[in-house]
Amino acid sequence: MSTKFYTVWVFFVTSMKRLFRDRMALFFTFLFPLIFLFVFGTISNGNKSNVSFEVAIINKSQAPYAKQFVQTLEKQKALKVHKDVTTLESANDKMSHKDIDAAIELPASFGEVKDGLPSGQMIVHYTQNNQASAQTLTTLLQAEASSLNNKLAPAKTPFTVTSKQNNERSLNAFDYTFSGLLGFTILGAGLFGPMNVFPELKKMGILRRLHTTPLRVWQYFLSNMLSNTAVGLMSIAIMFAVAIPLFHIKIVGNYLELFIFLVLSIILILGMGLGVGGWAKNERQAAPLAQILVFPQMFLSGTFFPRYVMPHWLQAITDYLPLTPVIDGARLITTEGQHLWQLWPQLLVMGVWLIIIYPIAFKLFRWE
Amino acid sequence: MVKDDIILRVKDLRKVYGDNVAVDGVSFEVKRGEVFGILGPNGAGKTTTLEMMETLREIDGGTATIDGVDVAKEPYKIRGLIGVQPQTPGFQDKTKLTELIQMFAAAYGEKVNPKEFLDDVQLGDKADAYVEQLSGGQRQRFSITAALVHNPKVFFLDEPTTGLDPQARRNLWDLIEEVRDRGISVILTTHYMDEAEVLCDRIAIMDKGKIIALDTPRNLISALLKRGFKKKQEVQQANLEDVFIDLTGKELRA
Repeated sequence: MSTKFYTVWVFFVTSMKRLFRDRMALFFTFLFPLIFLFVFGTISNGNKSNVSFEVAIINKSQAPYAKQFVQTLEKQKALKVHKDVTTLESANDKMSHKDIDAAIELPASFGEVKDGLPSGQMIVHYTQNNQASAQTLTTLLQAEASSLNNKLAPAKTPFTVTSKQNNERSLNAFDYTFSGLLGFTILGAGLFGPMNVFPELKKMGILRRLHTTPLRVWQYFLSNMLSNTAVGLMSIAIMFAVAIPLFHIKIVGNYLELFIFLVLSIILILGMGLGVGGWAKNERQAAPLAQILVFPQMFLSGTFFPRYVMPHWLQAITDYLPLTPVIDGARLITTEGQHLWQLWPQLLVMGVWLIIIYPIAFKLFRWE
Repeated sequence: MVKDDIILRVKDLRKVYGDNVAVDGVSFEVKRGEVFGILGPNGAGKTTTLEMMETLREIDGGTATIDGVDVAKEPYKIRGLIGVQPQTPGFQDKTKLTELIQMFAAAYGEKVNPKEFLDDVQLGDKADAYVEQLSGGQRQRFSITAALVHNPKVFFLDEPTTGLDPQARRNLWDLIEEVRDRGISVILTTHYMDEAEVLCDRIAIMDKGKIIALDTPRNLISALLKRGFKKKQEVQQANLEDVFIDLTGKELRA
């Protein structure tokens, strides 16, 4: 029995060496997913600095209190004040060009002292396409006003609301996107690897030659599973190595559980690659099948697009695509710190697919 | 049991593709340490016959045994007994010759010293080269040594010298003779009559799926002459290939 596994080991080592001598293959397996990582990482990093509102403050009041209030607003982190805009007309102009989100007008009466207290009403000007930000801005200014009111005329407030963030470590949108990217990498490593390599080896007559030796299909399968899993893991490790320092990815869950889950995921997706690559006589046969398997999963399993935007019936179907539980599971471990035993719904779907895919792949394999 | 002098027995071998009978009841025996040639025009069924013996194609009728082992019943055991040199020897690229030898040995569950096998075919200095850096002749030699890593009892070659230059062809003949001298039986197909005449101890000529003649080259020729055959042309003492070899030498080119 041990010589049978020695055979598997030699084939594994040889194919690993071959991969690392092939620059094209290295590019597609390791650099290609990184390109996506950079694209999505940069987009969501750009979004983060965009939470502030661009506003103009039109102060028509001469009261010293109004001046003071403008200064307070200018210090507000959520506001980016365009100081060059001083009239309502130019503010309207800027709004129509979307240079600013809204204009805050302090009328001439703002800050007048009545009954010993300064008072006034600010007006938020906005255009139709800025409704959402104007509403948020109004709420923000209301909060500002009520904290001022409280200082000037303390009142009892029996009912209050506070909000509290429940994630111990704060996660940003990219932490969620990242598990989609992991799914994409697994899809690439598991499907494209064997789907390109097998038909190529068949064309060169290499598998035919191996067929004349006592090498068993399971030995050849196992060595390919090992090498492709190793490649997939390396590719994922590189993603982590880049994403953690550069895009501040936070992994909440346990790394060992994540590792086990990812290995299982790669083996699952790889089964499809082995099936198609093992069956196809040449690249031309493999390509259309590859598209059929890759594209639905790429778009419907939540790699790049969140699945919650899909209609419910579509979600219900795509729940059972092999890649969906992979991405969901990876997300639950990395962002929510769930444990493997909590992921049984995902693992169940994956297990069923494993039982379906591998016997089929094994049956479909052809040496030439 | 007395050691059988016959290593390979084929009896009534048949292969049918739909209406087309590719191999139609072929029978022959190959002795230990013999070079056996299968000749015939394209489509005669040579390669199909070979591939059935190599376990690559299912046998539709008849039997084939190698060293007493039934080809159809124990294909994996047969694969350990035979070495196969395909028509176009394909090896994966970006893999060193030593690694490929190791890989082939591993396919048979064996561990070998690759250098030895490369030295056997004068490729010792190419140990770290990739197959794609070899010339056609070197590739053929490498393919032969790779097919022998497990010390098989029968060695199959399908049109081994097609596309080689005269020097490489002659070198390959020498190699095949060396293989035979090691006691390995060689079964080859070829389109070159001179090759069959030089190399083969016995020849089977196939046409339309059947063996139409089987004997030593010498006997086949004298049988033809006995039937009163005469060549129209006077036989020259040398031919163009002799001229070519005389001018360019026997030394193997890269």
